[in-house]
Amino acid sequence: MTVAEKQPVPAAISVRNLDFYYGANHALKNISIDFPQGQVTGMIGPSGCGKSTLLRVLNRMYDLYPGQRATGEVIFDGCNILGPRVNLNVLRARVGMVFQKPTPFPMSIYDNIAFGVRLHERLDRAAMDARVEDVLRRVALWPEVRDRLRDSASALSGGQQQRLCIARTIATRPEVVLLDEPTSALDPVSTARIEELLDELKADFTIAIVTHNLQQAARCADQVAFFYMGEVVEVDSADRMFTAPRENRTQDYITGRFG
Amino acid sequence: MAGRDNVAQAAIAPCASGRWQGNSLSDMRRRMVDRVATGLCWAATVLVLLMLFSILFVLVRNGVGGLRWVTFVHVTLPPGQGGGLANAIAGSLIQTGLAVLIGAPVGLLVGIYLAEFTATDGRFINLVRFVSDLLLSAPSILVGLFIYMIVVVPTGHFSGMAGALALSMLVVPVVVRTTEDMLRLVPLSMREAAIALGAPRWRVILFVCLRAARDGVATGILLALARVSGETAPLLFTSLGNMNWSVSPTAPMASLPVTIYQYAGAAYEDWTALAWTGALLITAGILMINITVRLGLGRNRK
Amino acid sequence: MDRSATSPSALMGVARGNGDAAFAAIVRCAAALILLGLGGMVAVMAWGARGAFATFGPAFIIDKAWNPVTQHFGAAAPVFGTLVTALLAIALAVPLAFGIAVWLTEIASARIAGVIGTLIQLLAAVPSIIFGMWGFAVLVPFMAHYVEPFASHTLGRMPGIGPLFRGAPYGTGFLTGGMILAVMITPFISAVMRDVFLSMPAVLKESAYGLGMTRWEVVRRIILPWSRTSVVGGIMLGLGRALGETMAITFVIGNANHIGWSLFSPGNTIASLIALEFPESAMGSLKFSSLMAAGFLLMLISLGTLVCSRLLLRTRSAGR
Repeated sequence: MTVAEKQPVPAAISVRNLDFYYGANHALKNISIDFPQGQVTGMIGPSGCGKSTLLRVLNRMYDLYPGQRATGEVIFDGCNILGPRVNLNVLRARVGMVFQKPTPFPMSIYDNIAFGVRLHERLDRAAMDARVEDVLRRVALWPEVRDRLRDSASALSGGQQQRLCIARTIATRPEVVLLDEPTSALDPVSTARIEELLDELKADFTIAIVTHNLQQAARCADQVAFFYMGEVVEVDSADRMFTAPRENRTQDYITGRFG
Repeated sequence: MAGRDNVAQAAIAPCASGRWQGNSLSDMRRRMVDRVATGLCWAATVLVLLMLFSILFVLVRNGVGGLRWVTFVHVTLPPGQGGGLANAIAGSLIQTGLAVLIGAPVGLLVGIYLAEFTATDGRFINLVRFVSDLLLSAPSILVGLFIYMIVVVPTGHFSGMAGALALSMLVVPVVVRTTEDMLRLVPLSMREAAIALGAPRWRVILFVCLRAARDGVATGILLALARVSGETAPLLFTSLGNMNWSVSPTAPMASLPVTIYQYAGAAYEDWTALAWTGALLITAGILMINITVRLGLGRNRK
Repeated sequence: MDRSATSPSALMGVARGNGDAAFAAIVRCAAALILLGLGGMVAVMAWGARGAFATFGPAFIIDKAWNPVTQHFGAAAPVFGTLVTALLAIALAVPLAFGIAVWLTEIASARIAGVIGTLIQLLAAVPSIIFGMWGFAVLVPFMAHYVEPFASHTLGRMPGIGPLFRGAPYGTGFLTGGMILAVMITPFISAVMRDVFLSMPAVLKESAYGLGMTRWEVVRRIILPWSRTSVVGGIMLGLGRALGETMAITFVIGNANHIGWSLFSPGNTIASLIALEFPESAMGSLKFSSLMAAGFLLMLISLGTLVCSRLLLRTRSAGR
């Protein structure tokens, strides 16, 4: 993990002096953090400390809700995506998101994946078929569903649904994939498969994952950020964070003294 | 029971025997009141069920005789010449069909508006919902008068289209209600997932949310269809009725309810018999839609 | 993954032409259509009624006459009939609906309550004209041969309420009309009541039973006070329906513009007056305008009732 030490990797997304408010509630306080390209950044910390909030800033999901606002800078591809003239549909295609609970759409497995692709690209049938097969292979779902692509996605198991949701997200070929506790609703076997998958995906995507599972962060992440009360307490390589944290609060959290 | 009470009393006799026995009179009164009230509740339920069965029985007894082939293939004729209800059945199908075709899309759009635009249009949405609820139970004969004034008078004649428009005003609030309720059941996470793919809001609403709610919405449209197919009052001054075979929406058009209304009060036996047959047909159709829908809903809930 | 296949998308630039603005405009137009519908109804009625109100003034509402020969029209009789039948219907339907709701929620087992509840809701789906025919074929003879002669011999001789039950036993009239309406609106009221009763937290009920209350005491002292507002709202909803009902009433009301004490005497309601007389009135005539004026009054009465009902029921729906 010398990579993290020297920081030679350019950042896919840089967050600078970010503040976030739910109405009057100051949820993120002057956050600055880089998400290095092609790496997995794990975000840990007690519930309600702002991890998910930060994810929802990165694809401007908070825009859906009046009363939520962000100030500061989030630089992605040379643009401040908090600015007023950002095309949100394009941003969200380029910064994909996977949620805590699997959210298959009420349509067939094939259409679940094609839905996102059709929003941004015009593909002919063969190309679309190829795309669907490609992403399903990447999430290792292809052998299980190849014969029932036209069946409803809600018939899949929870773990399969979550892998389908990941496939759906990467089908639009984003540069960054945000995962909000993607395995917290899954059983251990499904969780292990998703973790393996993350390892393969980071070759192509920059990944930010929120997790409550410290082992998961240790296993999957190159860089780990510890959040506490709306602040980023510490950002470091996973090795150092879990062996020799610099801050006492980090030490307390990872040894299980609170949270 | 008495034996068990005695055992209980014996066990706790030293301190509680007085309290157990002292209230027995008022206890008995309380239990009597409870029994009477329970009995009255049974009576109310049985009475209303009897009404339902009485209605169905009378319909079948008086109407089943007319369920012959000629009733379905012949148009209404002057008394004593036989005749059927073909024009009325066709007219009813056309008018209710048109009413749903007009009313359901409007109802869908308004239901979407009420469920999906609360973040931006809160105040106005409350007003629209309120007015839609008022329309849901507004007197249907006044809807007929309204359409008479704004369609029949300007065009100069009664028409099936006017009838369909009047019925569509009754379809809209029903569809609005169910669409809004069903869309509110769609989890927020599904909306967010679609938006996170970069989908514009209208695509999320139409292709994800509405799709998730489609069973419930279809139920609402079917119930609206069932409701308006028995409506008579809005058609009296709009499509008027037509003794001849006519499927043109620009001409006066017959309908089952209006034909029933005209025939039921007539002095000719064959006409009243046809009225009962029409009544049986329409009630059977409506109840069938209702039962199917309710069974379907029950299955989906499990 | 080969990303060059993806066309490089410009991050900057507000999403134009993605259809959201157009979609919002369309649904807002549809919503405006709803307001236009109700507003249009009120406006068109008022406009059609202007002749009658100009000729008779506010006295139109309290004038008992309805005479096409002398061209003298007043709405007092149909307004009276509308209110009397609707109030009778409520008086009969509320105890029935309450009994059914209690039976469905507190007495019957869940399975049976499901079946019976569905049957009772089917009654609400039966078209009003069918109620009219049934009333004419079954209820009217029953009233004429049994109920009305019996009632006038017993109740009719009592002081105070006697005048209500005197008169010729035609079978048609206010009482029969009210009864038909009661059967029609009972399912609506009981559905509202049942939903409210079911939405009550089980803990409240259970702790009341735990105190040793009988079922009736729980209903009377716990459930009813807890759900009073919504129950009244449901009753007003039923009242609104009863006021505007046309076809069922037309068959059994007797169609006479009459005001009197006897519940057995034939009468008229605004809705059945319009249904019967509108086809025989020429556009632009004073009679036409008077019918529109009566319709306008019905609109005001029923909207007033429904507004009350919705305001009472809103506390509940706001919480969902």
